[in-house]
Amino acid sequence: MKQRPELLAPAGNLEKLKMAIHYGADAVYIGGQQFGLRSRAGNFSYDEMREGVAFAHARSAKVYVAANMVTHEGDIEGAGDFFRTLRDIGIDAVIVSDPAMIETCLSEAEGLPVHLSTQASATNYETLRFWKEEGLERVVLAREVSMDEIVQMKQEVDVEIETFVHGAMCISYSGRCTLSNHMTLRDANRGGCAQSCRWKYGFFEEGDLLTEEMEARDEEPFSMSSVDLSMVRHIPDLVDAGVDSLKVEGRMKSIHYVATVCNVYRQVIDAYCEDPENFEFDPAWEEEIWKAAQRELASGFYYGIPTEKEQLFGKPRSIPQYAFAARVISYDEASGMATLEQRNLFSIGEEVEFFGPGFVRFSQVIETIEDVDGQPLQSANQAMMTIRVKVDEPVATDFIMRKRKGVPARILV
Amino acid sequence: MMMIQLVTTAQSVEQAEALIKAGTDRLYIGSSRFGLRQKGDWTIDAVREVTQLAHRYGKEVTVAVNNLMHNEHIQELPDYLQALKAIGVDDVTAGDPGAIRLIRQAKIPYWYDAQTLVTSSKQIQFWAKREAIGAVVAREVTLEELVLIQQQIGLPVEVQVYGPTCIHHSKRPLVTNYFNELGRPSEEAKQREFYMSEPADASSRYPIYEDENGTHIFSEDLTLMAQLPTLVKHGLHTWKLDGWHAGEQFVEIVQLFTIARANLLNGQFDRIEMEHRLRELQPEAFRLGTGLLLRKPEEIK
Repeated sequence: MKQRPELLAPAGNLEKLKMAIHYGADAVYIGGQQFGLRSRAGNFSYDEMREGVAFAHARSAKVYVAANMVTHEGDIEGAGDFFRTLRDIGIDAVIVSDPAMIETCLSEAEGLPVHLSTQASATNYETLRFWKEEGLERVVLAREVSMDEIVQMKQEVDVEIETFVHGAMCISYSGRCTLSNHMTLRDANRGGCAQSCRWKYGFFEEGDLLTEEMEARDEEPFSMSSVDLSMVRHIPDLVDAGVDSLKVEGRMKSIHYVATVCNVYRQVIDAYCEDPENFEFDPAWEEEIWKAAQRELASGFYYGIPTEKEQLFGKPRSIPQYAFAARVISYDEASGMATLEQRNLFSIGEEVEFFGPGFVRFSQVIETIEDVDGQPLQSANQAMMTIRVKVDEPVATDFIMRKRKGVPARILV
Repeated sequence: MMMIQLVTTAQSVEQAEALIKAGTDRLYIGSSRFGLRQKGDWTIDAVREVTQLAHRYGKEVTVAVNNLMHNEHIQELPDYLQALKAIGVDDVTAGDPGAIRLIRQAKIPYWYDAQTLVTSSKQIQFWAKREAIGAVVAREVTLEELVLIQQQIGLPVEVQVYGPTCIHHSKRPLVTNYFNELGRPSEEAKQREFYMSEPADASSRYPIYEDENGTHIFSEDLTLMAQLPTLVKHGLHTWKLDGWHAGEQFVEIVQLFTIARANLLNGQFDRIEMEHRLRELQPEAFRLGTGLLLRKPEEIK
């Protein structure tokens, strides 16, 4: 038996929060209406936070709020009230990068634990020691830190360490890129990042317009777009290094993503921690992870400095995309019928997959669809409509039905 | 008595002396091991030599210790700081909280410089309570905000009045990676500076280069020559000039700002003439601009 690290998942809204916890997250992080970095992610009102905290705490899960804006003059107004309200709602910690915000939280909302955001680029043990002495409970490391460096940090300082294990990543040190500010007047450190790193740039040399030559040779323009991070194959190293929390990126991502990724990491963490000696990596875990992938995947800086293979040049390799087709509302064992809430069009004859917590999964060809009155339908074509389908294996509430995108329905007859 | 301090980069002991004669009050130097984007081979011996030189002239030396430090840097840092202290450098810049912890233990004064993350008076006050003697404010902070920040704090706030600023720092070797992708010899990647242009503006030029700390992208060359009276009026008295691209013209550019300072103090400042003279000295390859400095704070979302 090994001490299990926390699995920390993103939750862009209440439904995602519940699904993340249902699919195995030990904790979720959300955004409030202010002070966050994801102005476009669904952010939580105080009432939604209360509901989320009640749901999570009833299941021994935690809720953190990201308040990692790098504030300019005046932005910090109201932060004391904000932090006090979060504390009183029962939020378990806030994730902050700005020293002024940290100070405000520690002095004005005593009792609310503070985690240092990755935005502050903590890259060494002395920095961890500094923040521990200031009263922080946890430090989220910069994505540039290697596995060996984490091992050393854990030996040097007794403070909780959280690291990213999955999701999209900045190609710069987080917080140290203002391309978006200069090129689009959108402040990357206040939630406005235009993802300028992923653009295609001209590239010159010594005053010569290399771009023209490049275009003539049909060469690739310059770009700085990183593939996504996945440490699914390396969970044992992270556990052995003593990492306290494994973080999944993606407050803007879909329910399908959150459920799939949590489900897989839950399996891997449990399998390793329960019996480290006999642990074997199951290729099905990786196969499942690819179903929620939007870009190619790699292990970031954990085992070395990423090369060109870990950047996206040219046309992206096509990764099969899966869509969230329906959520299971209930299941009738006697009839083998599942009642579903539709999320994406699906039709008779289509091959879909059902999956649920505990890494239950099976594929299914849709043979019948009926509406609530038992009338047969050819397809489920209305958002959020309730329908019933026959399933070959048992399912349960909050199982997800996914379908491969762009594959035409296979007609049975 | 109004004291305006000119802080300038320096690439060699020889250039440092010329810069002091041109009006520099404080030399800003460093190694790329512990500092960010330093030109020149600032070994400990060179730092000693330039510090003795500066002190003979009654001038100061600031050493950049503002790199993002990994464990290996932190392990070496105490020895480096002891060497700087023995030399008697006046102060350092630093933004990594771990480095700041060691700098305070070594009892060396420091300017808080976490680059893009220094954006408010309350942040600076946080570090002032932890013995910072001043702050280098992010170049993304507008002049209007700089004035507000300086009003709130008793410490000097450094404003960049000339030269480029870094707008992207990646630990990855992005030029090497690109050359590898193209199949070009990757040894070239670290030997030269290259330029990027953004898709919407083919005439834009963002210098990009690689060193042991990764990849750095610069803005256009900033200038606040025309706004110097505003700086003086609002007590923004620490003026930084970065000579990264200015080459041999840099000493003359510093001299021009020295003249501008003198003229401001005796009421003779002629903005149009000063801007004209700066444009004449500016290397043709680099556009002079004001970046985000003259934007209204509310324009930046």
